[in-house]
Amino acid sequence: MSQTKIKCDATGEDLAFNPMEYLREGLFPHFLCPGCGHGIALRAMVWAVHELGIDKNKLAIVCGIGCSGRLGAYVDANTFHTTHGRPLAYATGLKLARPDLHVIVITGDGDCLAIGGNHLIHASRRNLDITCLMLNNEVYGMTGGQVSPTTSADRYTTTTPLGNTEAVFDACKLAEAAGASFVGRELTIQTPSLKNMIRDAIKHKGFSFVEIMSDCTEVFGRKNDLGNSAEMILTQKSTMRPDSYGGNIVDEPFRPNFLPTGVLAQTDRAEYGETYRAAHRAKGSAK
Amino acid sequence: MNKMTSSSEPKNVLIVGVGGQGVILVSKILATLCQQQGFQVKQSEVHGMAKRGGGVFSHVRFGESVWSPTIPKGGADILVALEWAEALRWVNFLKPNDGTFISDTQHIVPPFACLSRKRSAEVGYSRETPDEILAHINDGYAMDATGIARELGNDRAANTVLLGVLSTALEFQADDWRNVISSFVPPKTIDINMKAFDQGRDWALKVKDSPDDAARHLRSEHAVPTVPTKAPYDAHDFVHLDINPAWCKSCDICVKMCPERCLQLDENLKAILSAPDRCTGCRICEWLCPDLAITVYRTPEAAAACA
Amino acid sequence: MSNQTSTNKRENLQGNHACALAAVAAGCRFYAGYPITPSSEIAERMSLELPKVDGVFVQMEDEIASMGAILGASMGGAKVMTATSGPGFSLKQENIGYGVMTEVPCVVVNVMRGGPSTGMPTRPAQGDIMQARWGTHGDHPIIVLTPASVNEIYQQTIRAFNLAERLSTPVVVLYDETIGHLVETVDVAGAQEIELHERKWAAGEADDYLPYQPDDDMVPPMTRPGDGYRTHTTGLTHGEDGFPTQDPDTANRVLSRLYGKLEHNKDIVECFEAMDTEDADILIVAYGITSHAARSAVHDARDKGIKVGLFRPITMWPFPEQALLAAASKARHIVVAEMNAGQLVLEIERLAGRDRVQGLNRYDGEHITPADILSTIEGIA
Repeated sequence: MSQTKIKCDATGEDLAFNPMEYLREGLFPHFLCPGCGHGIALRAMVWAVHELGIDKNKLAIVCGIGCSGRLGAYVDANTFHTTHGRPLAYATGLKLARPDLHVIVITGDGDCLAIGGNHLIHASRRNLDITCLMLNNEVYGMTGGQVSPTTSADRYTTTTPLGNTEAVFDACKLAEAAGASFVGRELTIQTPSLKNMIRDAIKHKGFSFVEIMSDCTEVFGRKNDLGNSAEMILTQKSTMRPDSYGGNIVDEPFRPNFLPTGVLAQTDRAEYGETYRAAHRAKGSAK
Repeated sequence: MNKMTSSSEPKNVLIVGVGGQGVILVSKILATLCQQQGFQVKQSEVHGMAKRGGGVFSHVRFGESVWSPTIPKGGADILVALEWAEALRWVNFLKPNDGTFISDTQHIVPPFACLSRKRSAEVGYSRETPDEILAHINDGYAMDATGIARELGNDRAANTVLLGVLSTALEFQADDWRNVISSFVPPKTIDINMKAFDQGRDWALKVKDSPDDAARHLRSEHAVPTVPTKAPYDAHDFVHLDINPAWCKSCDICVKMCPERCLQLDENLKAILSAPDRCTGCRICEWLCPDLAITVYRTPEAAAACA
Repeated sequence: MSNQTSTNKRENLQGNHACALAAVAAGCRFYAGYPITPSSEIAERMSLELPKVDGVFVQMEDEIASMGAILGASMGGAKVMTATSGPGFSLKQENIGYGVMTEVPCVVVNVMRGGPSTGMPTRPAQGDIMQARWGTHGDHPIIVLTPASVNEIYQQTIRAFNLAERLSTPVVVLYDETIGHLVETVDVAGAQEIELHERKWAAGEADDYLPYQPDDDMVPPMTRPGDGYRTHTTGLTHGEDGFPTQDPDTANRVLSRLYGKLEHNKDIVECFEAMDTEDADILIVAYGITSHAARSAVHDARDKGIKVGLFRPITMWPFPEQALLAAASKARHIVVAEMNAGQLVLEIERLAGRDRVQGLNRYDGEHITPADILSTIEGIA
């Protein structure tokens, strides 16, 4: 792409933003299905990185397995496509060993909440300065559309042929309860807001958890007759509540699309890496 | 009943403005005053455009007997306009030969005056200056009532400034005006409103008999807001969409989400800009393209580079 | 790195502590672990030692996480280690495979206890020989070192780091509960006296760099975040550029090199001890604590005029095949003594032929004694 092109948006803020400066353009078009919300989230993420002026060489993207896990390869940074459910474990080691890096984890609802659920709660508890972006499309897309911990009630998947009867996680409440010091949820259709939330999450010192409501049109939408991608993301928008909606639906059977959006929790709890190093400096290392 | 106007015909006062300015309050004050003076009054209004910028008007007719509630075109004795463009919109309701025109010169550009959603598109607001208008009117007063009210400490008293001017066009006693106004405005603002009334009335009496039309146009030290007539650049000329067909996966999101409906899938099911003249460069397609296949360029340099 | 006259410190050390001290001496600066008997002392000692050298210790939420964390830290450029025992070793296997596939240096210590399952946590066993070799799925090479004494734990742990860093691969240090908890006098070398090998870092132009393009030693130079190379690391089968591929030629080339790099560097990988094998009519093969009993039995048998030798693999995998065949060249009988139901014996049968190989096995949480081995020898001779 020609670098001579100049861009601006309505506010003139991001005159210089060209997503391809942060992506491995040679790998495009990416492998995602038509209309997959993960691509929108990918743009929002590199947009946030651009706004923060982060040096790509100091940026590490750690991914798990699944559709979300493949996103890392497209980012022109230090990218790690790790094992299923474990990106937060790898990121913990990386960040502890290299506090100078910006570490962003990209994970999915199955990767983060099912096989990797233990790592989410402990990463939240530990509060290491890692940004965890969980792309929630309510389904295991890559393996063909099986039920996930966030699949809404009654939804059909390839492993819930009669509709999902299992209860589901509210990932944000989970992260907050476990101690994550920044918790937010946003839709892909609100791209600038999503960008802002990712930006604030990266900027936040401590473990930040952002649940991005994505859409899986090809396997989940089709199976449940949810329409095309535009309809799916519009439905999310019309049914998701802003954070002011509060806890009025506690007694309802949980459905992700009745969840609040926005920054849901933010505290300035001590960051773990600094705490660890400070504690050992303070007590003196020659014991 | 003894203070009958010279004509046995009802007097027609048309009060116009936009939502939030107090058009209805002005007409209620006038109607109440007329009733107190022994006239039969009919007041007919269109309101509900509470969202600021929506047009509001009120017909007040009073006389010995009033049958119809509304004023026909060319039938208004007095037009009181709280906003300049509204004044111009209704000016054809004035009696051509002996109507009196009273207007604030402030500009409130309503959203629908933007005929195009393109950034920096020309605003569809009137270009006429007060001097140009007054030259064509039998008896006219244009003033920065809002500026005067602001000086007094409350923009919202602009309508009372105009009532002061109106009071010179009708034969009611100033103190009767003051009493009715005081009974309608919030008690805390009576003082300001009295001053506003007096300022409007005093100025109108001063210029009433001036042969110079221009004198009827009060320029306060507050600059009258100007309407932007020319954008820094014309966005329409400079919007350019780069759609990479090799990356487009035909998901249709851009087509469905474009607020101007200017994108389509072509015969190969690739997104194309089918109505470039409608494109405002809002970038929604760019943001929502999951395949990052759309890039929006919006500067003259970009347009030139893409051309 | 120098050979100056010894200023070695002698210390009475437990095997697990020796392992921790050796790791720090070898340059380990990141340790992630999870408590498990009988390896917990390693984590405890690391939590004490690492802060002294500006390193980081973290106790992770589970065994899988600790394996992931050390790989993450290693990809960040640190020398790393974790330690565990049987059940934990099972849990780590998937991510050990990731380390093999992505060629990330790391050291994994497995202090063997009785199994299967929870088994006998406080009793010794040698039942993880084959798991260490084939624990993770798919074809993969791996280096496994089996020290047999506290002193050797110290030496072999350092060597494990050197091999991991030189060959960009996970290295397993495998020893049984008995020597893990054995206390012996150990030469604790000062850091300046240990020959340390550092990771080979990429130096050329970022544009020309291919993360899996090997040098002549078949090992590709590594990069770390911040160096400006911005590479991609994936457990998917990848080409030299690091990106996933399913091209059969590329897959074959890249996977073959994983084996090839160990084969090519066999000289530095292989390590064994052959005692009295030149004329041995009977060869005992033993490792770990069992080799102590075997050594004693060989002495006793020699005293009785029986020509017995001992072959002790120190690098268990890749197995020192030629050395074993040389040691067994005159042997009519080979006895493989191990505290399991017969694992290494399979490899020895494969190499030396089934007819002359027999196992001496025990898996009840008790040691194989010199008397056990001697009576077997006498039974044959």
